[in-house]
Amino acid sequence: MRDLFKSEALRFRGWTAALAGVHLIVLAFLTRMEDLAQQRIFVHTAFAGLYALIGLLLGLFQMGGYRKSSQWLNLLHRPLSRHRIALALVSAGVLQLAVVVALPILLVAILQETTTARVVDLRHWMLPVSALLVSSCAYLAGAFCTLRGPVYAIAALPLLWWLALSNAYGFGMLAVELIVFAWFMVLLLDAFRPDLSAPPRGAGALATALPLQLGVHALIMVFFVGLELVWIAQGSHPNNTATPPAGGHNEVENADPRDRMLAGLKDSRHPDTQLLREQIRKSEPRTIPLPLPRLPQRNELSNFRLLEFNDPGRGVRWVFSHDDMRLHGHRLADGRDRGILGVGADGAAFPALAAPAWARPGTAGEDLLLTAGDTLYQFALESQQVMPRVRVDAGEVAMAALLVGQSFAVMSDRAIYFYPGRPLASKVRLPMPGQVGDLRNLELIDLDDGYLAAFVYSSRSHTPAGTAPFQILLRAHGDGRIETIHRRALRFDYPVLYRYRAWWISPALYTVRDAALDLFAPALPLDATDPAPMPRSIPWLAAVLSLLSLAVAVWRTAGTTLSATSRLAWTAGCGLFGLPALASLWLMVPAQPVAWVSRWARSGAGNVSREASASR
Amino acid sequence: MQGEFVIETRGLTRRYGRKLALDRLDLAIPRGRIHAIVGANGAGKSTLFRILLGFLAPTSGESRILGHDSQRLTPEDRGRIGFVNEEHTLPRWMRVSQVTAMQRHQYARWSQRLFDEVIGHYHVLPEQKVGELSRGERAGFNLALALAQSPELLVLDEPTLGLDVVAKRAFLESLLYSNVTEQCTVIYCSHQMEEVERVADNLIILERGQLKNMSAPDDFRARVTHWVADVPFKGPDPRTVPGLLEVQRLDGLHHYLVLDQSADFEAFLRASGARSVQSMPVTLDRAVNAFLAKNHAAPAAA
Repeated sequence: MRDLFKSEALRFRGWTAALAGVHLIVLAFLTRMEDLAQQRIFVHTAFAGLYALIGLLLGLFQMGGYRKSSQWLNLLHRPLSRHRIALALVSAGVLQLAVVVALPILLVAILQETTTARVVDLRHWMLPVSALLVSSCAYLAGAFCTLRGPVYAIAALPLLWWLALSNAYGFGMLAVELIVFAWFMVLLLDAFRPDLSAPPRGAGALATALPLQLGVHALIMVFFVGLELVWIAQGSHPNNTATPPAGGHNEVENADPRDRMLAGLKDSRHPDTQLLREQIRKSEPRTIPLPLPRLPQRNELSNFRLLEFNDPGRGVRWVFSHDDMRLHGHRLADGRDRGILGVGADGAAFPALAAPAWARPGTAGEDLLLTAGDTLYQFALESQQVMPRVRVDAGEVAMAALLVGQSFAVMSDRAIYFYPGRPLASKVRLPMPGQVGDLRNLELIDLDDGYLAAFVYSSRSHTPAGTAPFQILLRAHGDGRIETIHRRALRFDYPVLYRYRAWWISPALYTVRDAALDLFAPALPLDATDPAPMPRSIPWLAAVLSLLSLAVAVWRTAGTTLSATSRLAWTAGCGLFGLPALASLWLMVPAQPVAWVSRWARSGAGNVSREASASR
Repeated sequence: MQGEFVIETRGLTRRYGRKLALDRLDLAIPRGRIHAIVGANGAGKSTLFRILLGFLAPTSGESRILGHDSQRLTPEDRGRIGFVNEEHTLPRWMRVSQVTAMQRHQYARWSQRLFDEVIGHYHVLPEQKVGELSRGERAGFNLALALAQSPELLVLDEPTLGLDVVAKRAFLESLLYSNVTEQCTVIYCSHQMEEVERVADNLIILERGQLKNMSAPDDFRARVTHWVADVPFKGPDPRTVPGLLEVQRLDGLHHYLVLDQSADFEAFLRASGARSVQSMPVTLDRAVNAFLAKNHAAPAAA
């Protein structure tokens, strides 16, 4: 095994050294320009995509070199078990990826830690590990697809998508990457047989069937995207008709803020409707841009939001450290250390991750606002101190601050707090009338005695997770009373089959997919929704498709050499997972040739045999 | 276990869609000696080897190699079977010394003496990369590696294909002078009849997945005779000629290659109007080629 490992390591050593060198130079160059550790998640995702591509190409090329039957025979026909041969090759591949991908990141992190005042946290030391796992997963995917062929590549897709779409973060994401790596190892070891045309068996069959079915499910979704493009081209898609469908949520979402607030009063019977309409026309509604970016989480590998801000007057950049929960400053001009900033005069650690708020209302000069957990902090430039300023109710998360007229407003995940002027002694709390994950639009105006807030809840109404769309106007009186001015239901703009398309194809796979995406991902405040009740027709449709799949599976498995247990398992699987399982049955289990073909071929061969005998 | 046969197949069938590559093949190759397997392209030789080494599953039937089910070979079984293919597939990026060291570690019965003996026929340096070797040198190196493994069964699949005359001779000499057959059975698959004639003790002919002959090469050659007859006009209808493999008319004389015909064939020719008849032996090359060409696929109208 060690010899094969060395052989494979030798095989790509030139490419490995060259790519590692290029990678190191690129990272070192970019580090001079930017702090790579403090980039947004999409930047790190782009890097991860590149590392995955390198891994995928290595897997395709390495196994492609052995895929030819003579090469394959030469590789496997030796006194070593196939698993040991596979492990030797994979170990060499992963070692090469470690040198090409992980080592340069690690070296740059060491460089940054030892020679600059920039923040390098524990989570940043995990980045090389994560990059290596991502590229290794893609490498195994490439190797598996090369050995198994293009049909089985469908099974590799959902595992790679899992890496890209998982809601996990930090060490949870590392755990997901390890699971995907292990899963691909099982797939590869099963595929790594002398007879490459042999279908998966035992645990390998189970490990292949589930992602294959999820892959088929995903391809059906892609097919629906194609249909949607045809729908758009045809011109009747709700998103691109000349005018949005009347009464639907698109119509409201596409309106400008003032018109949207006015639309919220349509059919209102409240006695103040006309007055409020006038108020809206005279006011400039304040809008909170939605959807909100994900809240930062401690020890996340990348950054859902940037936890840094500049103090332009002093030319200092403050960066939040997850390790000591304080802000670390360095000079923009020369990168020199400018100290550490905590809460209060004694510089205590923040109780939660501190992110810059969007606005700086109601503060002196250019003072900065930070949100951290349930508290809004003010960074006083003059004194260079951070002090708590506003606290929302316990259990809530402060997310944004803005000025509404002369008042100061703070938005949490469950309420809006209005502070009428300075000092911020009294407040009015306006609870949100829906779940923040459904919130699509929010406008606020200042009234003579209170505030008017217009909410549109339709953010995910095109999916099974979203609420039944509605618009609601609430009035917060100065004395703290909350009054519903008007609530109106909005129509779904998309047909029910479209909204639930991911569900009715296979409710079980839909559940598996969501569970996988949420694995090691604690629910975040912004993800909360209030799903609309499912129309009865949808479960019926899913049941009919499952029964149909089950019936076809009974017929199909009868024409195979499967054992009774395997037939039962496949039939039950088709009943449970529906059409995608049926497709995977077709792809994984070869049918026996129909009887007349066998007879025909035998009689043809018999004729040849008889002719030969006659010639003797 | 020292069984009587190194290779045994019973009713071995392999089908690719509607095409039969192996057709209920019953084959039993005894231990010892050099056995040549010949057959036209598509006769099923490669399919047979791939099934025997467990790299392809049969559609039906069973196959055993060194007494073991070929679909369940263990690493130890593989260590007892050497295989050399026509492409002499070796890691091109490694040095000769590195490949040799790798094989030496992997094969418990490695014979350095045998390796040195065989590689001595070639001008191969340890520091050379495999990719830098000529095709002939690579073939010799591959043979040396396979023989040094001290296998009980050595399968050589078209090992001299693409080699020039010098390299071919070096290859055969290194094979024959190694006294390999004292320890192991050799299966030699080739289209080169002069090689088969030179090395093989047993000739196995496959045709369309079926066993057509298994005998000593001379015995098979003796079954084919060449008759030259001076027959006026067209001569007898070929369909009536017994055992006919090939007929040609050259310079007014009819040349017949026939299989399994005794002196009675002369009587047949004379009864068909032959004025003079002569018979003569044929080379193995000609006998096998005529045999294989007999049932070659031809357009239906031909």
